[in-house]
Amino acid sequence: MTLNVKVFRFNPETDKVPRFDTFKIEEFPNMAVLDVVMNIQNYHDPTLAYRCSCRIGMCGSCAMYINGRPRLACRTQVSSLGTKDITIMPLPNLPIIRDLAVDMEPFFEKYKKIKPYLIPKQDLKEPVICKPDSGERELIDYMLECITCGACYGACTMVATDPHYLGPAALTRAYCLIADKRDAATRERLVIVEQSEGVWRCHTQFNCAEVCPKKIVPTQAIQQLKKRCVFKRLGLFRG
Amino acid sequence: MYTFKNRSQVWDTVGMWAWLFHRVTGLALVFYIILHIVLMGTSLLRGPETFNSVLGFLMGSTLFLILDLLLAAAVLYHGLNGIRILLFDIGIGFNRQKEIFWVLMAAGLVIYLFLLWRVLPEIF
Ligand code: HEM
Ligand code: SF4
Ligand code: FES
Repeated sequence: MTLNVKVFRFNPETDKVPRFDTFKIEEFPNMAVLDVVMNIQNYHDPTLAYRCSCRIGMCGSCAMYINGRPRLACRTQVSSLGTKDITIMPLPNLPIIRDLAVDMEPFFEKYKKIKPYLIPKQDLKEPVICKPDSGERELIDYMLECITCGACYGACTMVATDPHYLGPAALTRAYCLIADKRDAATRERLVIVEQSEGVWRCHTQFNCAEVCPKKIVPTQAIQQLKKRCVFKRLGLFRG
Repeated sequence: MYTFKNRSQVWDTVGMWAWLFHRVTGLALVFYIILHIVLMGTSLLRGPETFNSVLGFLMGSTLFLILDLLLAAAVLYHGLNGIRILLFDIGIGFNRQKEIFWVLMAAGLVIYLFLLWRVLPEIF
């Protein structure tokens, strides 16, 4: 079967406006969209720029806007698209370096703002006990699967309309740390996420959850944070 | 240097349309409520005769009654999806958001059909 592939092309150094190039690519069994992109670069146009590394959905570098949604190119089977017409564009809401490669800097700048690392409590004598079956722990556990691919960031209309909104991934990370009993910087992080361009930009659109390759629901992490922000304002927040 | 972003949105999700309609109906309701208060307020201030004739004119107008049906649809949608959003705010339904949407929309359709059944004979 032949695939009709439309690829977004833009080189800010030489082009005034972007364009689409089309390629006819032979499909092979179990072909992923990343295979399509590599095939184009190997056999049709070596100047095509894109980013990838692991090819197994764990490095988070190959998120692209494929047939109307941000998806990991390496984890998206061509057969799952249900059509032979494939349109590949760069991940939305991030500056384009060239063609399909975007600059992830704004995404990670916001990630850094919430201090995405554990700041351990120093005064603990006993080990913290987090029961595996406590509801909160389960939320953290699956949310820690985030590979910072930015698919959620590229799918969110609130990110698209407000360049300063922290976005789903950074807020989900903030929640994982704020809900962590061993962490000492809970309040510090809450002060950052309680800003209007923190949790309050979320309008429960769920596009982030729809596109997350790890099936995370950032909307729920953000709700957990909103709850804590309200409790904090009311002077009822402990932790 | 980096002069361009892909501004494409995700259009094939329930949540996208639920959100978009919520905002559109919300803004329409604000617009309506301002119009409503200004019109009712000014005609009331001009005394009972003016008020009665304004209301009589509006209630006798088919176009106005059709607009009222649109208003009812907007309130119904905004209110029902508003319940969905409030469920999220109290921590319920994150893994069932689409199902909750369709259940509420089905309820809305039933209510709206009932409304049409009662109201349409009055208009025509
Ligand atoms: C029937 C009862 C109502 C309920 C349950 C309700 C519920 C809600 C909720 C939960 C939101 C937040 C949505 C979000 O986070 O994006 C909202 C937004 C909004 N509502 Fe209502 N609402 C109601 C009636 C009204 C009325 C009468 C008006 C107009 C005067 C109105 C105007 C708006 C506007 C302008 C927004 C902002 C839209 C947005 O954030 O996207 N609502 N409503
Ligand atoms: S939450 Fe999901 S979509 Fe967002 S960056 Fe993490 S893995 Fe990617
Ligand atoms: S190449 Fe690593 S996630 Fe796709």
